[in-house]
Amino acid sequence: MSIDALKRPLASVPRLAVPRLVSLALRELRGGVRGFYVFIACVALGVMVITSVGALSDALRNALSQQGREILGGDVRLSRVHREATPQERAWMDRQGEVAAFATMRSMGRRPDGSAQMLVEIKAVGPAYPRAGAVDLSTGVALQTALKEGVAVDPLLLEQLKLKVGDELQVGRSKLKIAATITRETDKVADRLTYGPRVIMSLPDLRGTGLVQPGSIIRWRYALSLADGAGEAAAGLKAFRAQLKAALPEAGFIIRDRLNPSPMVTQTVERVAQFLSLIGLTALLVGGVGVANAVSSYIDRRRKIIGTMKSLGATSAMIFKIHLLQTMAIAGIGVVLGLLVGYVVPFTLVGALGTVLPIKLVFAPSWGTVLLAAAYGFLVALVFTLWPLGRAELVRGSVLFRDQVADDRTRPRARVMLMTALAALALMALAIAASDSKWIAAYFCIGLGITFLVFIGLGEAVTQVARRLPRPRMPEAALAIGNLGAPGGLTRAVVLSLGAGLSLLVAVALADASLLKAINNEVPERAPDYYVLDINKGQVAAFETLVAKETPGTVVRTAPMLRGRLVRLAGRPTDQVKVDPGAQWVLRGDRGLSFADAVPEGSKVVEGAWWPKGYAGPPLVSFERDLAKQLGLKLGDTVTVNVLGRDVTAKIASLRELKWESLAINFVMLFSPNTLSGAPYNVLATVRLPQGTTLKREAALSRALSQTFPAVTAIRVKDAINAFNSVFERIMVAVRLAGGVTLLAGAIVLAGALAAAQHRRVHQSVIIKVLGATRRRILTAHGLEYGLLATVTASLAVLLGSLVAWVVVTQVMDLDFVFSWLAVAQALGFSLGLILLFGALGTWRTLQAKPVPYLRSE
Amino acid sequence: MSQPLIALRDVSLTLTSRAGPVDILHDVSLDIPAGRSMAIVGPSGSGKTSLLMIMAGLERATSGRVEVAGEDFSTLSEDALAVVRGRKLGIVFQSFHLVPTMTALENVALPLEFAGADDAFGRARQLLHDVGLGPRLDHFPAQLSGGEQQRVALARAMAPRPQLLLADEPTGNLDGTTGEAIVDLLFGLQQRQDATLVLVTHDTALAARCDETIQMRDGRIETTATLETA
Repeated sequence: MSIDALKRPLASVPRLAVPRLVSLALRELRGGVRGFYVFIACVALGVMVITSVGALSDALRNALSQQGREILGGDVRLSRVHREATPQERAWMDRQGEVAAFATMRSMGRRPDGSAQMLVEIKAVGPAYPRAGAVDLSTGVALQTALKEGVAVDPLLLEQLKLKVGDELQVGRSKLKIAATITRETDKVADRLTYGPRVIMSLPDLRGTGLVQPGSIIRWRYALSLADGAGEAAAGLKAFRAQLKAALPEAGFIIRDRLNPSPMVTQTVERVAQFLSLIGLTALLVGGVGVANAVSSYIDRRRKIIGTMKSLGATSAMIFKIHLLQTMAIAGIGVVLGLLVGYVVPFTLVGALGTVLPIKLVFAPSWGTVLLAAAYGFLVALVFTLWPLGRAELVRGSVLFRDQVADDRTRPRARVMLMTALAALALMALAIAASDSKWIAAYFCIGLGITFLVFIGLGEAVTQVARRLPRPRMPEAALAIGNLGAPGGLTRAVVLSLGAGLSLLVAVALADASLLKAINNEVPERAPDYYVLDINKGQVAAFETLVAKETPGTVVRTAPMLRGRLVRLAGRPTDQVKVDPGAQWVLRGDRGLSFADAVPEGSKVVEGAWWPKGYAGPPLVSFERDLAKQLGLKLGDTVTVNVLGRDVTAKIASLRELKWESLAINFVMLFSPNTLSGAPYNVLATVRLPQGTTLKREAALSRALSQTFPAVTAIRVKDAINAFNSVFERIMVAVRLAGGVTLLAGAIVLAGALAAAQHRRVHQSVIIKVLGATRRRILTAHGLEYGLLATVTASLAVLLGSLVAWVVVTQVMDLDFVFSWLAVAQALGFSLGLILLFGALGTWRTLQAKPVPYLRSE
Repeated sequence: MSQPLIALRDVSLTLTSRAGPVDILHDVSLDIPAGRSMAIVGPSGSGKTSLLMIMAGLERATSGRVEVAGEDFSTLSEDALAVVRGRKLGIVFQSFHLVPTMTALENVALPLEFAGADDAFGRARQLLHDVGLGPRLDHFPAQLSGGEQQRVALARAMAPRPQLLLADEPTGNLDGTTGEAIVDLLFGLQQRQDATLVLVTHDTALAARCDETIQMRDGRIETTATLETA
């Protein structure tokens, strides 16, 4: 028998090979994972959120790229505002493949009697539309057949205007028969945000409406199915872009290809996914407290076993590694569970929502999502287990001979503290690396770190204060305060686990309240009642006269409005300029442009100078200050915009600060009048009715306007605000849900901490029962303890949450901060409710406990 | 007398508790030659177990010199002490202290695995056969009787062929008959491996089987008696 290893010199402290360490660790887990349910649940919940979010965004991205042809209606789509393709341009397109032309614009859809009207999204299509994808109609007939008869509309339009198939709809000056309703429109996803129901008509019908005027905001779109399968490969699509640039350099078309049919949707999805992933990470971190508690209890239970191992020759490093492997194996169970549920949840959700979504989501596990969620899960588990594991290696063999109180204040060795710090840094680095907005992710991580530190400090402070308080005369209060300060008590775990989640919830609630107040209360006082689009520049005077006649005292403000695309910033083509992600939208498509003689209302020049009246020198532009900064522009730089196919270069003469929330007419770029006044343009107007205008009077004005100016589009601001509010409410529900997940993680941790302390609490109540305490006394003592804990935690959460909300509202959103007692009451109520609920469950079991078995077991 | 395996010189132990420092051992000096057996007896709180813990390197003396199996314990780190225990010492506890999630075989193999021995399981199997537990190799501690658990603990203590076997009340949790069988086994294994045995006991019959007995009181050695003179 060879046991030579035992004869090695002492200097060589044995290092166990990894397979032997794994074997030892797994052998020890045979007892099952009892005591680790909270650990597993905490890891699984956070990983599940991150996986679900990743899986959903993957599915959407897959869908967008796989169904790109259907979404675009071809391999590529060219679009341009204002100008239809010239015959030469169209001829070039025809040479590249099959072309389906169509145009989109916003206008008003009216009942023929003028009694009701609403904003509609018009799509006027040529005979070849759609080349790819489909438009399905309620009547089952083909789209082109239906369009010979009239228009196809979104059922919502019929509902709103109380019309039915077969009735007529007035658009512009035409009355068009409603031939069918639309049941599916595959290329709708690729459109910009749509505000009204769709009306599909033929191109000749659109021309008949009189809406196609010079300066009208019409997007002309051309979906191309490239010849010879050139659109099948990415290389073919790239080559097409290059050919277009070479053949039609000044055309100013915006190109989308089937691989990324809607960059705006893709980017929005990415951003939302990143934001929700960070929320998932918060839930995971809050759950980390549960992980740490579970590992601490595990180590406490195992002190004798660790002592035995040490007496048998195990070194501290061996003990540390064995237990680290064990906890990571358990974290692995949580991670796998989280990944599985994380994929099942969105799949089920989409199954339920399937028909509501315009595209078919394509679920496929992606390594990126799986690895990211798993990495988050393991790293969080590591951050929270290293510390308690560091205490495990300090357990001495003498515990076998002498019972020692587990001192929860023992610090691990410096090596372990360093490892904990490195794991936390790795976690932060991962969160930042996985996020597009590096700064936001970094601030988020720092904020979370501070929140954790604050609540760790508060937990410690409450414990210490409770220990130092003089003993109250009332025995129940003495018991409650004694429990708050007890070593290994609930205080630290409860304060930390609930505090972080509650702070987030308070911050969200207060930011929400401030935003709603800003939108609903402040805006309408200054805001116009109507926006009127597409007023022909020759009709402005007639328009103003009509408004003054129908509703005297009305204030009308007008501004010229064109659409143009930024093509150069300070002389460099925009596709070569790297800008802040927050400003990408400005470069993505065409923007509204205007020109003015004087600084408009709601605008303030903060740098440079406004041009003099009647300025006739080289073109000048005034730029919005924050965007200029994000785009890397400064006074004196030039910007080039393509307007109606012509590149216009202007020097930045001033920077303006805008109050977008005033809802007055505002433009990012305002040019000196001599730059653009020669171009064909329409006029945008705001209409502010005199106070006390009745609804009847408003309706009469609206009717008069639509009869006299059928081509103009009037948008009621109150309707727009309501529409915005409903979207905003949905977003806030999503944010609250996400915040709720964090609170759920806190609740699991809380339940775990209470369960872990249950045996000790039952034992305590058995003893005081033996000493003559009634159930009422025990109940009062527990109620006082939990009430104090909940109040202290919620109070600090309110303070911290308010501070975060104040920073976000006043510094980031630049709005006034509103303190909402309701939000605070909700947070307090929730905290008290949760702690009292779990506490009551535990207390009920405590009160039911028979004393004898507990006393005997001692 | 041959070279002592254990040499204690003026060993004192003071523990700090929340109530203040407590003196456990006072200037204990003791030599135990290799291959001998010694019983430590005395009333509860006299410092028997603490003395054994110091010999095992599980407790550090506050002052004095502790030399065991040629190693000066005061110069060794925690981990080096663990390695000494793994290679040169076997310890048997009153409460057995088997790892509940491991089988009898795995429990016995454990110190050999910690020491990095290649044939840990072969030797563990042989030892369990030697203590009469050949048919119980794959049983977990909860599936074994108290006597069987202590036999596993004995086999585990003997696994690294220790020079020194330390036992803390090895029969304290066993009934009389089982206790006797364990004691026979303990002395049999000690003699077969020519190990030094030090045990703490309240059992005078067990103490009487040792070559020497020391009586402790209030942290001091009160009397020493050898078998020849007892």
